[in-house]
Amino acid sequence: MGSSVSVVRIVVAQPGILRERSDTAVALGHLGTDVAIDFVETAAECLCATEEGEVDLVIADHALGDEVFEILAAHRSSGPPVVIVARRNGEEAALDAFRRGAADCIQVGPDYADVLPVVALEQVRRWRQVRERGASERRIRELQRYNENIIQNMNSALGVVDSAGRVTSANPRAEEILGVSPGALLGREANSWLRADESGESLISRTLQGGLRFTGAETALTHKSGRIVPVGMSCSPLLDGDGSQFGAVAIFQDLTEVKLLESQVLQSEKMASIGELAAGVAHEINNPMGFIHANLQQMSEYMNDLRSVWKKTLELQEAAESGDPDYLKQAVKSLRELSSELDIEFVYSDFSKALRESQEGSERIRHIVQDLRDFSHRDTGELLFSDINQALDSTASIVWTMMKHTIVLEKEYGDIPQVRCYPMQLKQVFMNLLVNAYHAIEEKIGELGDRGEGGAIERVEIRTQRSRGGVCVSIRDTGVGIEADDLTRIFDPFFTTKKVGAGTGLGLSMSYNIIQRHGGTIHVESKRGEGSLFEVWLPEDRPDHPPDHPPDGRLRRQGAGDADG
Amino acid sequence: MQMDDADPRGRSKPTLLLVDDEERILSALRRCLRREGYEILTAESVTRALQLLDERRIDLVLSDHKMPGRSGVDLLREVRRLQPNAGRLLITGWSQAVSESDLEAVGVSAVIAKPWDDAELKQCLRDALSASAR
Repeated sequence: MGSSVSVVRIVVAQPGILRERSDTAVALGHLGTDVAIDFVETAAECLCATEEGEVDLVIADHALGDEVFEILAAHRSSGPPVVIVARRNGEEAALDAFRRGAADCIQVGPDYADVLPVVALEQVRRWRQVRERGASERRIRELQRYNENIIQNMNSALGVVDSAGRVTSANPRAEEILGVSPGALLGREANSWLRADESGESLISRTLQGGLRFTGAETALTHKSGRIVPVGMSCSPLLDGDGSQFGAVAIFQDLTEVKLLESQVLQSEKMASIGELAAGVAHEINNPMGFIHANLQQMSEYMNDLRSVWKKTLELQEAAESGDPDYLKQAVKSLRELSSELDIEFVYSDFSKALRESQEGSERIRHIVQDLRDFSHRDTGELLFSDINQALDSTASIVWTMMKHTIVLEKEYGDIPQVRCYPMQLKQVFMNLLVNAYHAIEEKIGELGDRGEGGAIERVEIRTQRSRGGVCVSIRDTGVGIEADDLTRIFDPFFTTKKVGAGTGLGLSMSYNIIQRHGGTIHVESKRGEGSLFEVWLPEDRPDHPPDHPPDGRLRRQGAGDADG
Repeated sequence: MQMDDADPRGRSKPTLLLVDDEERILSALRRCLRREGYEILTAESVTRALQLLDERRIDLVLSDHKMPGRSGVDLLREVRRLQPNAGRLLITGWSQAVSESDLEAVGVSAVIAKPWDDAELKQCLRDALSASAR
């Protein structure tokens, strides 16, 4: 027992009339440590005392008779130890006491006062050891329960696999996400649920084989029903004391709803930009509709003219067949007069011209509608090798409908490889950038006031070129430009410099996310009053997975920070 | 291209100036109006229209609104300055592009939406011409 140990508490159950009682007190006074002694005379009092607090030892005098048995019974299972004080020739009683759970037995005799402290001290030391061990075991059990509680109840799924990739532990959330019954995952191959990504390996396999760590990597699981569940997964190797790997732990979350929301936001942002384009598109459709509609009315008039000439022609035929020269002469004259009156030469040639123009007009409308439909499509969620020039051009032609009256659009499409991408999402990015370019120019024109004759000198340049194992798309405008202070924030969600209601503030942040998803970069340079340049770089093939640490900082939001430097 | 001959002495035939950057619109308008007894001039830009206004006496200008460079309202404002008696009509597929106050300030007698109805258009032109003749 260490010296630092607190006061030793001893309960002595001994009839007060006994001479030994004072001996006991004196003897215990020699324990060599602070002692607090409670003298009691009944089992009930003794129990009261031991229940009250941390008692280290009970000394019970056999003279109390049956009360001693009661005391022994009460402390047998949970302590503290009970030492019996027996009289001479009390072997029988002592044996009985041991059977009933006494820790030790002391004979009252000449050496009573010497033996008692030794026995007491030994019992206290042992008991304290037991108690400490019990406490740390309890503490361990508590910690285990605590951890277990967290694991069982946390809203993330957790799975542990051994070095062979077999599940050794999985929490209820993991079972829930996979749709399996409790315990069903244990001993099964983790890869039977995990989808291999582009590299042909699952994240867990890669962690097991390469000791790689992943944080928040996007992958997918197969639900029991066969449904694919998108998940965000963090995966780390499990290492033992020597640092050798004996398994892996994976924490994952169901991203189904997140994905759904994301696609809804994406779609509504897209629809918002279509709304913004609506006036321009309507104008672009109304022009051809205008002349098609008018031409149709005119063509039906032409048709009437031709029909009446045809009637005259039939009369002429009749006259010719009748063999009557006067009738024939009359019919020829009448046909000639009508033809000249209706200007049938003109009608004939203008009819085909009107038809041709109308066909061209309807073709134009078809194109616009096609572009719009292409643009409003939801992505299939599949990565496709796509022609970026085409995606950019069809998007530009929609935006062009609203900017053509004020802006010169210059296109320079390079000879670029196809890019593995989500084409609809990229179109959304191009749309955002082009609409922003348009707004920047509109704002500049608004600031300058509409002066100048035919002053369509404002320009938007779009350019594509091969670059660093991928494709670079640049969109430059001569608009108002961006304040240096704002440059660092333009990719933040909900940041907007537009008037309330004029922009969601999500366009660029979404564009940034989309480009990041493609493993690409978006970069901006701008000067207030001189215009802006946005450069999007896309790798030819998307990396297998979004890595933890971009190898060369590519995924960092590099543009915004350095642009004003 | 068919163009009715102008009467060299009087001005029995009203002269119309149609302005639109879309050639096919001009072509369709001309078709629509070919039996209305007007002398029809066309211009594909505001600049060309101003040139014609400088050279000829015009009874009515029917102009598109959204055109590269300058708008139809701008042109009609010039028309009012150059030939105040000429009728001024706007034709546009961009319905919300022109504010009421602009129209009033420039004295536009009617705004025709594209696509238009031939009969209504003809009536509008007749009304505008008889109003400006008074």
